[in-house]
Amino acid sequence: MSETRQDPQAQDGAADREIVIARHIDAPREVVFEAFTEVRHLSRWWGPQGFTTTTRSFEFRVRGVWDFVLHGPDGTDYQEWITWTEIVPPERIAMLHGEYRDDPNAFESVLTFEADGARTRIEMRTVFPTRELRDEAVEKHRAVEGGRQTLSSLAAYVTGNAGNGASD
Amino acid sequence: MARAATTSDVFNAIAEPKRREILVLLRSGDWPVTELARALGLSQPGTSKHLRVLREVGLVRDRRAGKQRLYDLDAQGLRAVHEWTGGFEQFWTGSFDRLDAYVQERKQERKVDHE
Repeated sequence: MSETRQDPQAQDGAADREIVIARHIDAPREVVFEAFTEVRHLSRWWGPQGFTTTTRSFEFRVRGVWDFVLHGPDGTDYQEWITWTEIVPPERIAMLHGEYRDDPNAFESVLTFEADGARTRIEMRTVFPTRELRDEAVEKHRAVEGGRQTLSSLAAYVTGNAGNGASD
Repeated sequence: MARAATTSDVFNAIAEPKRREILVLLRSGDWPVTELARALGLSQPGTSKHLRVLREVGLVRDRRAGKQRLYDLDAQGLRAVHEWTGGFEQFWTGSFDRLDAYVQERKQERKVDHE
């Protein structure tokens, strides 16, 4: 018997449409889970370094909505619209992630929180409606990251200039 | 650092510099082990060992051609690396970095609250 966990969907080709990201965090599961449940927590960490969010509405419950704008470090704004489809504290959160209400290109992410001693293992499994949408999401986020690259290049450029000229 | 859970072995495989060198060489097409070994300055068994690791994680494929075994790149395994280097996964790696830092802060606050 193999230890490998087979996702029944993956056998139907869902592997082409999904992205799985896993991460260990050195904190109890309840504390990690809590960081996903309130906007005052989420706004502190959602998005890589340099990103911020402006929330229009937020209601953490099944069928509740988080309607917000994600601000990229280069000034680009991204409309985000999230609705939760399953909430099982402190084990599991499933959410639909689109750009606006009833976005046909919305994709579902299932987050699972597993206690691992004093640590927590988070797994985020995202399944896109089609392989094309999955590739598109990768490219879109690559563009987001590209913006970040641009900004750090600018920062390096400015710092470089300051080092050459403005030091006193 | 967050990694694609289903493909984490790929990242372990390419952590080894010689294996990365093999991947670079294979960009030009099929290579027999003997020539890879020569290009890498490794023994043939040493090269074969690296190739076995790369094959197991889906980064290279092999096929028999007469008495030789030829190796080339396997795009399937490389896709995970491609995604990781940019895009969705990097976005979430960055987010989880911040989540981690934030949760550590919260942990400290809770400790203080309970004292």
